[in-house]
Amino acid sequence: MKSDIVVETRNLTKVYRDFWGRQKVRALKALDLEVRQGEIFGLLGPNGSGKTTTVKLLLGLLFPTSGQSLIFGRDASDVRKNERIGYLPEESYLYRFLNAEETLDFYGRLFNMPKAVRRQRTFELIELMGLGWARRRQLKEYSKGMVRRIGLAQALINDPELILLDEPTTGLDPIGTREMKDLILRLRDEGKTILMCSHLLADVQDVCDRIGILHQGELKELGRVDSLLKIRDVTEIRASGLNHQAQEEIKQVIERHDGKLLSMGNPTTTLEDLFLRIIRESEAHPGRRVRGEGPGAQVNRG
Amino acid sequence: MVIETEILPLSIWLPWGLLYWLAVVGGAAFAAVLVGWLVAALRSGPVAALRMTGRTLAGGAADLVLISPRRVWALSWLAVKESIRRRVVVVFAVFVLILLFAGWFLDPGSNQPARLYLSFVLTATSYLVLLLALFLSSLSLPGDIKNKTLHTVVTKPVRPSEIVLGRILGFTAMGTFLLVIMGLVSYVFVVRGLSHTHTLTGADLQPAEQSAGDQLSGRTSRVHQHRHEVIIDVAGGGRVKMEQGHWHELTIKKSGERSIYQLGPPKGLLVARVPVYGKLHFKDRTGKDAEKGVNVGDEWTYRSYIEGGSLAAAVWTFDGVTEAKFPDGLPLELTIEVFRTYKGDTSDPEDIPGILGSLAVRNPKTGEMVEAKIFTAKDFATDLQFIPRKLQTADGRTLDLFRDLVADGRVEIWLRCLPRAQYFGAAQPDLYLRAHDASFKVNFAKGYLGIWFQMVLVIGIGVLFSTFLSGPVAVMATLGALLGGLFSQFMARLATGEVIGGGPFEAFIRLVTQQNLVSEMEPGLRTTVAQMLDVVMGYGLWAAAAVLPDFGSFSFADYVAYGFDISPVLMLQCAFRVLAFLLPVFVAAYFFLKMREVAK
Ligand SMILES: Nc1ncnc2c1ncn2[C@@H]1O[C@H](COP(=O)(O)OP(=O)(O)OP(=O)(O)O)[C@@H](O)[C@H]1O
Ligand SMILES: [Mg+2]
Repeated sequence: MKSDIVVETRNLTKVYRDFWGRQKVRALKALDLEVRQGEIFGLLGPNGSGKTTTVKLLLGLLFPTSGQSLIFGRDASDVRKNERIGYLPEESYLYRFLNAEETLDFYGRLFNMPKAVRRQRTFELIELMGLGWARRRQLKEYSKGMVRRIGLAQALINDPELILLDEPTTGLDPIGTREMKDLILRLRDEGKTILMCSHLLADVQDVCDRIGILHQGELKELGRVDSLLKIRDVTEIRASGLNHQAQEEIKQVIERHDGKLLSMGNPTTTLEDLFLRIIRESEAHPGRRVRGEGPGAQVNRG
Repeated sequence: MVIETEILPLSIWLPWGLLYWLAVVGGAAFAAVLVGWLVAALRSGPVAALRMTGRTLAGGAADLVLISPRRVWALSWLAVKESIRRRVVVVFAVFVLILLFAGWFLDPGSNQPARLYLSFVLTATSYLVLLLALFLSSLSLPGDIKNKTLHTVVTKPVRPSEIVLGRILGFTAMGTFLLVIMGLVSYVFVVRGLSHTHTLTGADLQPAEQSAGDQLSGRTSRVHQHRHEVIIDVAGGGRVKMEQGHWHELTIKKSGERSIYQLGPPKGLLVARVPVYGKLHFKDRTGKDAEKGVNVGDEWTYRSYIEGGSLAAAVWTFDGVTEAKFPDGLPLELTIEVFRTYKGDTSDPEDIPGILGSLAVRNPKTGEMVEAKIFTAKDFATDLQFIPRKLQTADGRTLDLFRDLVADGRVEIWLRCLPRAQYFGAAQPDLYLRAHDASFKVNFAKGYLGIWFQMVLVIGIGVLFSTFLSGPVAVMATLGALLGGLFSQFMARLATGEVIGGGPFEAFIRLVTQQNLVSEMEPGLRTTVAQMLDVVMGYGLWAAAAVLPDFGSFSFADYVAYGFDISPVLMLQCAFRVLAFLLPVFVAAYFFLKMREVAK
């Protein structure tokens, strides 16, 4: 169904140029991506791989060199799409001379929210972020993690349908990280769509439904987390309650095929292993990238 | 008088102004669209470019029309907050400090103390406020882009037009607040600085010379380096003469045998005259009509001269003189330049005897003329003369001003210089009917409104430049526009080649080769290139002069300082011009911001 595609990029390419128009960096190369309604999509990649660039292109903060990106079917240059978006930037770019309440109230006004609604949302979000005790303090007196929380609150002020999170857990303590992940899952359960960038694999593995792996501006891997982490040419069998005879039969079957039974079933790898292998492969074969969707389109692996 | 510019009535000025505006703005808009289309066409072909241009324009129209007041309000509020964070208070502190120091060196005993004080406060305020406006407006957006705080803003449903408008309104609000406070402080400073009184005791008074012992005369004590002459009727009541443009009210209390004299605060010092100007033409020494008077070889030919002891006269024709407007007669105020060919033998410059002049009233229809006043003219002193209703002719008839001398509301006032071989210099604004005075306080406020106009213009320009330049560059560009605007008339003359010594390049060669300004340049490649560059530069300057607002014309400091009411028509003109300038600036700023890659 076309209608449940929230984010779509077509051949999205970004080349950074210097003042004289000379090419500096090809930050993103022909990215095709779709994010569907109600999923948590993780964009993974090492530093400088083009994650932030992608998000900025989606939001219209950068203009694509070629290609197009659509959110809710609207072009990135259309401000109306922003009504339904929440964005948490890489670092929280907030006015440091405002306090928490003023900050949220200000962004609420930008959504043209009436006063009563703004008040209500501000109160709820400050409580949700656990910053009630510091609501009247200027952000310049805040710690990094506290600013990050206000940044997230600001992204949620309009109760958005799509939330773009650029490295949501940086700067947060372990408890904060856990809370952030719980919040992301809860937002998904409320029916919202989330696109997050990260290089923290543990975070991605815990929350994301689907991931894409970027390296040097190219999409190297794309698919559901659970299927990506399955090693398909290995069967792992672990069983209990089998009598001796049954085990013998299985062994025989395996021996007939010249196999050697270790245990039975599909083992999973860790995301870290997958990530490192893809990056290594990508470095060995630069230029190879995935297009389509699903396991069938995966890069074959040895 | 300094107020020389004639103010055209709005009915004439507005249509022509509008036409000029449409031509300039229309031309610039067309050029911008064309350039936009060309750039797009180079990238993606002419047809696609046409579609893109159309889309941009349509989107722009929507963004400019569908502005949400609540968002603009939020962004203005942010701009105010930011100004406060940038320590606007410091500017106010500097202002107060300047006034404190000025208290020492401004001399309230000078010839024109009100002029001095008023020019000073208005100039100081305008420099400070304009500089503040310049820095606030041109550093704000670049700061937001550099700190990336703008990323969080533009990813909300905010239109670039709202960001620009919010900035302009916010900084204007901040500047207005500051300007109001500075105005109030300035007013108190001026009034207190000029305030003084004199003492007068019985010992200062002697029986007046030419009186039958029923008048006393004398001089008050010396305060602020002047004393007033006083004439007191023994019957009670007294008169304090004008000195340094003011007088004092005198109250006399009897306590037994002795009289106690008390003088009030200065009066007539801070005024806002409402002049009614006439049309000036001249009669030469034989009494024939002349476009101009005699040129006495003055370096500045603004005034024309009439010769004394001849038929030469300066004739002002006034319209709309009715009995309802001037029930008691005509109050005339005149300031004339006295050009002497010989000086009396005087050692004390204060006692140079004045030169006699005459003022006559003539009916332009019947030709009936009557001499109304003989007066002593002092160089550039402003004199108030009153022409009464009943006038005596030389042959003893009594004429009524309105019945016999005014025809259809029109009347002529003739000025003549009486002694031979002396000259009076006069220009049109030198003689006017002083119909009534407006409130000085209101006029003072209007003077500050002039600064406000300039401030709003600077904010507009600053915000415009800040949409596509980095902070320091935007500051320099705004400063350049401000200076260019201040000297726009000079630039226009430079562009049309009226300035002696050629354009900037030729002038530079002259400077380097140490040639004077008038000698012919020796022909050659260098000269040709320089003069060609000057022609190109001339067009640039011409364009700049046509586009930049003429800041000088928004400064009403002279009106306030010289005590003339700023006419509402002039204010309205200025308001229109500010609006006419800000509108395209706003649209241009919007497009620049819209096309800017915020995250670059
Ligand atoms: N403004 C810019 N000008 C020039 N090059 C840039 C600019 N911003 C990013 N780049 C380059 O584009 C590439 C992608 O950068 P991007 O910020 O998208 O990476 P990222 O995946 O978000 O990395 P990180 O995990 O470190 O945040 C990098 O090579 C970077 O150097
Ligand atoms: Mg990044």
